Amino acid sequence: MKLHEYQAKSILKKAGIPLPISHLAGNAGQVKRISNEIGYPVVLKAQTLEAGRGHAGGVRIVHNESEIETVSNEIFKLVLNQQPIQFILVEKAFTFYKEYYLGIISDLDEGTPVLRISEAGGATFLEADSFKDALTVDKVIDINRGLNDYQIRESLVDMGIAPTYWKQFQVIARKLYEVYRQNDASLVEINSLVLTELDQLYALDVKISIDTQSLYRQEAFFDALDPSYFGWEEREAMKYDLDYHSLPGEIGCMVNGMGLAYLTMEQLLTINAMPAAMIDIRGGATSSSISSAFEMLLANQNVKVIIINIFGGMTQSDETSQGILQALDKSSIKKPVFIRLEGTDGSIGLDLLHKNEKLSFFGNTEALVNAAISWLRGDEQ
Amino acid sequence: MTVLINADSRIMVQGITGKRGRFHALQMLKNGSQLVGGTSPGKGGEWCFEGRIPIFDTVRECVQSTNADVSVIFVPPHATADAILEAIDSGIKTIISITGSIPLQDMMTVKSALKDSDAVLVGPNSPGVLIPGIANAGIFPNNIAVRGNVGVVSRSGTLCYEVLDCLTQAGIGVSAAVGLGDDPIIGIDFQSCLELFEADPHTDQIVIVGGPGGDSEIKAANYIMNQVTKPVIALIVGENLASSLLRIFSDNRGNHYSEALKNKTKNLLEAGVLIAKKIDDIPPLINR
Repeated sequence: MKLHEYQAKSILKKAGIPLPISHLAGNAGQVKRISNEIGYPVVLKAQTLEAGRGHAGGVRIVHNESEIETVSNEIFKLVLNQQPIQFILVEKAFTFYKEYYLGIISDLDEGTPVLRISEAGGATFLEADSFKDALTVDKVIDINRGLNDYQIRESLVDMGIAPTYWKQFQVIARKLYEVYRQNDASLVEINSLVLTELDQLYALDVKISIDTQSLYRQEAFFDALDPSYFGWEEREAMKYDLDYHSLPGEIGCMVNGMGLAYLTMEQLLTINAMPAAMIDIRGGATSSSISSAFEMLLANQNVKVIIINIFGGMTQSDETSQGILQALDKSSIKKPVFIRLEGTDGSIGLDLLHKNEKLSFFGNTEALVNAAISWLRGDEQ
Repeated sequence: MTVLINADSRIMVQGITGKRGRFHALQMLKNGSQLVGGTSPGKGGEWCFEGRIPIFDTVRECVQSTNADVSVIFVPPHATADAILEAIDSGIKTIISITGSIPLQDMMTVKSALKDSDAVLVGPNSPGVLIPGIANAGIFPNNIAVRGNVGVVSRSGTLCYEVLDCLTQAGIGVSAAVGLGDDPIIGIDFQSCLELFEADPHTDQIVIVGGPGGDSEIKAANYIMNQVTKPVIALIVGENLASSLLRIFSDNRGNHYSEALKNKTKNLLEAGVLIAKKIDDIPPLINR
């Protein structure tokens, strides 16, 4: 779960990492007042979790008061991937002569944190190619030993960074790792970390992602979840330990496990169909979480038809069936439901459901998906 | 041991009095797996399943009393790393975590501990390990597979069921099935599992089922090219999905699937692996 830039910066500031002065503004008047306070030139940065902010004109330098309102209004009018801009971060502009990347990233294959220092200044961890072309040093961290000073030193030596700057880098790297650990982050990166004319390091841009699986012990972040990024369905789903994915189609899918989600998706795509929502109820879902998932599909206006594809191991099919029946009882909305239910106690689950005449049953993913889509297309004609 | 477990494995369940643990422990008893005990802190000294299975407070006591060497974990996600560490320190050889969604940094602690130990972790978020007709250390549906010579290893649990079901329908038997687990950080990977299948006298051919994210299938392809003599068949799901769709799927979990579309299939083909485009393509590729 990505945090907004202003959220990430406030965490790093509290940790004592040097950052330019910045304040958050919700309208053009606030932008102007803050800019006049901190002094020009300022950088106005649209607060969005979508990619391509800079390219869309969401980051602008303003040199004096006369342009400030026009520019901030232009930024507030931007819409990135259908998401409006609600806040601008107003920041003191800096001149610098050298930029670096400094991050604590997670190597999921090896299961370790990694300290990365690179000359790929503005890149982000996700842009793997940027690091291939730039001098980059990775240090694997044993989480049980922590980030050792010698590891930072070795990285700085390998980067060819002069000893006069070591202390500043060391302090920032250590603090970055503390932030990573204390917040259950999956990623904490400064991109870029710049060296000013006065030979001081400042964190100009930062990114923090929090591990969603740790949210139960990082409650502050759960409240900080951006509603524009996570719709109410996603937030609601997290409460029930469901994975909810909004998509631009018309089919509501409920599956157990990512594998089955991919398989169902692929089958839909082969016949040019697209889900409106894909809910992964995950292993061991209870009848009440399944009922909530099913209610979300019934309530979602984009969903015209519902597909349930469950092969239960941990998920007992009697639980699944009870959950579906509970939701059908509660809701006044009627939508056609296509079901494929196999696995642990599959027949018991099916016996429960067979009593309901509104449901259709299938033996495998392909037959299930094809039947739902031909109903949908037949209905449209 | 053959592939992680065998007929002599003495299986225990961590979290045996919880709803899931209890249900699946009972399934194990019913399907003839050698279940010897379980833990539930605070309930040590009690018995479950009509006095057939003893309950202990700690894994240490369970191992001392029952000689358990395989543990299947059903405790809640926030307690799972602790349960795995307890199993490692108590000398359990094969640790299977059915529980998933373990905090990332908890799993990093576990991975570090595994390096200093000879224990093997399967999962988290794994359906377990199945030797058809012999032992079901996990949550595989009963009667999903019959005994045979095909080894199956899958990252996804549900796809593992799908493949086993498809093989059974086609009259093909399975030597062992391993669900590696769907969490971002897991214990054994495809390569370690291939090593076990290559060495297992009961396995003559191998099916691997992969998906988006990580490098594990690519590592496996390199390993197959140089070290695996048995025929391998692979199904990689998700490769037909556009990267934008994969991004949608990966974001909520906070995982970084930027490398998802690396051409895993291409690497596997080059390693001499037979590629199945969908599940139903697998049986015809198997040598009967």
